[in-house]
Parts: sequence; C-alpha cells; structure tokens
Amino acid sequence: MKRLAAAVALMALALLGAGCQPAAITDEARDMNDLYNVVLIAAIVVFALVAAALVYAIVRYRRRDDALPPQFHGGGKIEAAMVGVPVLIVIGLFTISMITLVGVDDTAEPDDLTIEVTGFQFSWQFTYNLNDLGEGGGGMDAEAEGAVSVIGTPANEPVLMMPVDEPVEFVLRSSDVIHSFYVRDFLYKLDLFPGRVNAFTVTARETGDFRAQCAELCGLNHALMRFTVRVVERGEFDAWIASEAVRQLGDGARVRAR
Amino acid sequence: MATVAVPHTGYQRPAVLDWITTVDHKKLGILYLYFTLFFFAVGGILALLVRTQLAVADSGFVGNDAYNQIFTMHASAMLFLFIIPVWAGFGNYFVPLQIGAADMAFPRINALSFWLLPPAGILMFAGFVVDGGAADAGWTAYSPLAQQTGVGMDMWILAVILLGASSTIGAANFLVTMLRMRAPGMTMFRMPIFCWTMLVTALLQLLATPVLAAALVMLFIDRNFGGQFFDPNGGGNVVLWQNVFWFYSHPAVYIMILPGMGIVSEVLPVFSRKPLFGYKAFVFATIGIGGLGFSVWAHHMFTTGSVLLPFFGFMTFMIGVPTGVKIFNWLGTLWGGSISFPTPMLFALGFVSMFLIGGINGTFSAAVPVDFALHDTYFVVAHIHYVLFGGSVFAVFAGLYYWFPKIWGRKLNERLGKLHFALMFAGFNLAFFPMHMLGLDGMPRRIAVYAESTGWGALNLVSTLGAFVIAVSMIPFLIAVIWAFTRPQDQPADPWEGNTLEWATSSPPPVHNFDSLPPVRSERPLFDARHGDGAH
Repeated sequence: MKRLAAAVALMALALLGAGCQPAAITDEARDMNDLYNVVLIAAIVVFALVAAALVYAIVRYRRRDDALPPQFHGGGKIEAAMVGVPVLIVIGLFTISMITLVGVDDTAEPDDLTIEVTGFQFSWQFTYNLNDLGEGGGGMDAEAEGAVSVIGTPANEPVLMMPVDEPVEFVLRSSDVIHSFYVRDFLYKLDLFPGRVNAFTVTARETGDFRAQCAELCGLNHALMRFTVRVVERGEFDAWIASEAVRQLGDGARVRAR
Repeated sequence: MATVAVPHTGYQRPAVLDWITTVDHKKLGILYLYFTLFFFAVGGILALLVRTQLAVADSGFVGNDAYNQIFTMHASAMLFLFIIPVWAGFGNYFVPLQIGAADMAFPRINALSFWLLPPAGILMFAGFVVDGGAADAGWTAYSPLAQQTGVGMDMWILAVILLGASSTIGAANFLVTMLRMRAPGMTMFRMPIFCWTMLVTALLQLLATPVLAAALVMLFIDRNFGGQFFDPNGGGNVVLWQNVFWFYSHPAVYIMILPGMGIVSEVLPVFSRKPLFGYKAFVFATIGIGGLGFSVWAHHMFTTGSVLLPFFGFMTFMIGVPTGVKIFNWLGTLWGGSISFPTPMLFALGFVSMFLIGGINGTFSAAVPVDFALHDTYFVVAHIHYVLFGGSVFAVFAGLYYWFPKIWGRKLNERLGKLHFALMFAGFNLAFFPMHMLGLDGMPRRIAVYAESTGWGALNLVSTLGAFVIAVSMIPFLIAVIWAFTRPQDQPADPWEGNTLEWATSSPPPVHNFDSLPPVRSERPLFDARHGDGAH
C-alpha cells in the first residue's frame, strides 16, 4: 500500500513537471496559464486517485478461490455520489474558466497600435498603418499617410515587430483559405477567414524573438507558414517603423522623424 | 394417406456465393469484422508513414503533398472504415444473440448495410491513383481548402456519403431489432449493457448522420456546380461547414466509443464474477452522453471567433459527468470482486486506464481559455488517440479475444494474447503520451515538417518508436489467429462463465441461433442459470 502511494505520488510529480506550459509573455497568457495550472492540478489529483483505486482493486481483489464474491449491484447513496462528485468538479472548473475568459477578452482602445495580419497560401503579411501606430504615433506625424508592410514567403519567413508593455490589437484576415494565427508564447490562437475579420488584443511583457506558425491546415506548404514575433522596446519599434517607411514609401511619403 | 414428397436436394451453394448472398446476421457480422480489420491494417500502415515522416526534423521522407494525403486517409480509414463499422460488426453478430433473437429485424437491409462498405472503401482509396491524388484536406475537409483539391476529394465525399447511408440504415435495423425482438422476460432494463450502448449509438447515427450527408452534398455542389454554400464571395459562409460537419462529427466520437464501453462493461463483470456496478446509472449515463453529445459540437471551433463560448464550454464540461459516472461503474465492478486476468480482461483494464487519461486530458480543452493554446496542437492529437485508440481500439481487442471462442469455436492463445497486450499497451503510451508535451510546446497538428530549431525532434522520435512497437504487437495477435484456425473447434458453449444469452448456445451458434432459451429474470440470465436466482 505504501509502495503504491509512493509510486502514484512520484508519477504525479513527473506529470506536473512534464505538464507545464511554455513561458507566457503577455498579460492575457499569464492569466490563461494560471487557469491551465489549476486544471492541470485538478487533472493530476483525479488521475492519481482513480489510478490508485484501480491498481488497489486489481491487486487486492484478484481471484484466490472459487468462492463467489458478494453480488453487489450498487445503491442509491453511492450512485448519487457518483454523479455529485463530477458535477462539483466540472462546475468549479467551468466557473474559473469563465472568470479567466472575461479577464482576457480585452478590446482595443481606438488609439492602440493596430497590426493588420493577412494570411495567404503560404505566408503572412503584416501591415502597420502610419496613422494607427498607438502611443505617441510611433514617432510619426499625426497626419502621416500610407502603410508599412512586411510580406513573407515560405522560404523567407516574415518577422512581426511589436512593442512591449502596451496593448496591441491584431486584426486578422485571410485572402484564400482558413489559417490560424498561433504564437506559442501568447498561449493563444485565432483563426483567419476569407470574407470575415477577427481581432484580438494582447499586452506583451517580455522582449525577444518568439516562434509562431499557422495552426490550421491550409494546403501544401501549411508546415512552412512560419513567422517570428519580435517584441522590442517602443523606441526600437519606432526607429524600425521610420526606417521602413522611408525605405518602402520613399520621399513621397509625408514622413517626418521627430 | 396422401403424402407430398419434399425433395431434399442437398444442394450447397459454393462458399463464395454463400458469403456474398448471405443474410445471416452472424456471417454478415464476420464480413464486417474482416472488412474493418483490413482497413485497420491499411490505416495503421498509413500511420507508420506519418510517424516515419515526423521522426526527425526537416524530413523529406514522403514530401508535403503525399503527407497531406496520407494523414487525411489515415484518419478517414480509421474512423469511417474501421472504428464506426467495426461496432456494426460486433453488433451484427452479438445483438441478436444477446437478446435471444434468431436474426436482425431486417436481414436483407442488413446485407445492404454491409455491401455498401466495399464500394465506399474502394472509391475512397482509388483517390491515390487518380490525377491530383487522394483527398488531402484532412478528414474534417474544411471549406474552402476542400474546394481546392483534385477529383480524389469528390471520390472521398461520395464514399463518405455511401458509408453514412450504410450506418443510417444499419442504425434503423439495430433499433427495431432491440425494441421488437427481445426474448420473453427481457425487459429494457434486463437488456445486456452492450446492447444498450448499441441502441444509443444507433439513435445518434440516425439523428446525426443525415446532417453529415447534407453537408457533404452541399460541399459536392460547391465543388462541382458553383453552389457557393460555403463561399463568402457568393454570399455563403465559411463557418457554416464547420457547424454542420461537427454537428455530426462530435456525436460521431460517441458513436465510435459507446459500443466499446459496452464491450468493456460485459467483460469486467464476467472476470470480476460480479454484476456491473450501477447498471441503471450506466444506462442513464450512456443516454446522457448521447443527449449532451448533440450540444457540444462547437467546442471544436473555440478559436474561430464565431462561437458562443460560455454555452459550449459549459456543455462540454457537463459531458464529463456521465463519463465520470462510467469510471465509477467500472471501479465499483472491480471492487470486492474475484478478478482473473485472461487476455480480454487485460484489454478491458487497458481501456479503463487509457480512457481515464483520454477523459481527463479532454477537460483541458473544455476550459475555453486553455483551449486557445491547445487547439489544433499535438495535445489534441494525444487526446483523440487516448479516446479512440486507448479507448476504442483496446475495446475492439477486448471484444475479439472475448468473443473469438463464440464466433469461431476456438480460443486465441493466452500467452500470445498477453504478449500482444503488453506490447500494444507500452507502444501506445510511448507513441501518444509525448504528444501532450509536443502540443504544449506549440507543435501544430497536420504539419509535414518541423525545423530542427524547434527542439521537437526527440519527443517525435520516441513517438515514432512507439508507433512501430504497436505495429510489432500485431504479430503475436496474427500468429494467435492463424494458430487458432489450424485447431479443431473445441470450445464449449460458455468458456468464460458468461452472463448473457450468447453463451447459452453452442460455439459457434447454429444458423437459427438457439434451440432453447433459459428464462430471463435479470440482466444476467446465465449467471442465474448457473447459481440459481437466489445468488443474485
């Protein structure tokens, strides 16, 4: 019995270790990761209890003689418990899921930075409208016109630049089939549809490069529809926008680096 | 005295003609089993190709185009040509026997149900030889991707419609059989638990499969005649396909697992020498799963942005309740029993433990914000395989080892059976447990290649190794089957001390099934006959 308990405890610890999610880098992801950890602990506890009961029953009640064991069919109280316990567990989990869902379902303010994401077979286009660059206008004139775009190919994976510590809205569209915008360290994905617009908002809290890729089967080179999310300080982001604006729009654009 | 001479012709049809024209539920059941196990092998070979491709990073083993066809056809074969019809096979053979009937209610329709399968299987797999290859948009065939692919996709659509027709008319046949042809004394609540699961499965098929057929017809029209049902440029709706597809395909998951639960709930009591703990609770839980199964389809669509998240999140959690009840049923059956461990019992216990994991890892995706991370990753691939392989396939083998003596009058070798179980159990966990970690680490499903830099190589290699161990586990099984067929039919009517009526007739049963029936006064008429009603 002791050995069984020790084995189950060891397995539970191993599961807990193996079951962690990658580092969450946005406010929203951190909330969702907290929820994940609650579900993980509940799952391991339920698994450990049921598995221990199963192993115990198999060892304890193996056939030793031909005597017929008591023919027990069940009873009202224990069957009520069979329903009651799972009901309590799932209502508890549902409630905290909904609390988390409401918390992470942010909507962008009009003056937040917006990045327009268009998925296509088989890469991504990230577009920054110069009059929608969020905090401080990205170092752009308030009347700046035009947009800066990054277009990738399967061989030349695009980089999505975004600033840290401020809400960023992603507006998702597809030009052909369904894709899914999936950044592992956002712990989040949202599908892109032809003929419909989806959007979500996150606030990143860590700088660095984070790998990302399409998560919805979209055809031949679905696996190559990869990109990198590069979270940088605001100043670096502004400098990048300014240089891209000059490079892409040339002198004709009304761009003025402050 | 006038006599009429009835000539006894003694004419025997050739064996092949006999099998093709038979309307005997037992022979049709055997045909179903041969057909479905053949496609289990085909689907398994495709799985090995998938796993070989993914064994190492940046693999060029089959290429992206072939990979998409291979994993699409792996799922299509396993779901549509193996798991769903294999239950019809067991059901065909054992539902009439378990309720003490001479045959199914409509024997000719029964034959039609089976004979729709081979043309569908051929049509679906003939896609590999036509221009553009086999269907490659996943078994989910999401539009508009499914609009882009070649004629193999049309063949796939037609094949699935044929298979749907087979299971719809088969379902009607099972329902009528169980509602109208039970032996005297067998009330609904004395019906064997496997029959109950087949009954609820048949109800689900009858209600859900026509919806799939409608969706497939729309997709076919979209592809070939400019229907624009799912094309937003023509006023159609992309998400509509997902709604109608999952309205069938989520209940279909229960179509694929409920009869397996039924088999396990026959096997556990026999080898624990106790009745099923909470028979009525089990029946109501099965009905509950069937009913709730129709209200959770959109949990496959949480990341579309077009789903009422709280409702479908709640219903998905709720379906965990009847599932949890069943785990208690099985634990309670073992508790206080007198348990022996022949091969069918090992597979049944394998089912309980693996389905437990498949139930628990499903709750992660019911928590909507957690699903945002896990959806369409290998975590979900792990989940469905813990349910459909750890669950359904283990139950298929529990059923095969358990009923083999009844169907063929011979027992499968116990040592080979145990070796089969041990290898399959180890291989299964090796193949599918690492997928949880891969999913958490962000590996999307259905990708043909991944970069070295992802670090996914090691776990994928372990998974591939596990897949090959599963393949190797089939060798002792095949040897056991071949060996059994070289031996005489020496099995008695009731080799396991069974509970239900199929053990009241010879092994194998005569064409008319029963010479006489024992009285049915509980859900265990053979137990009563052995021990007297007082023991109950």
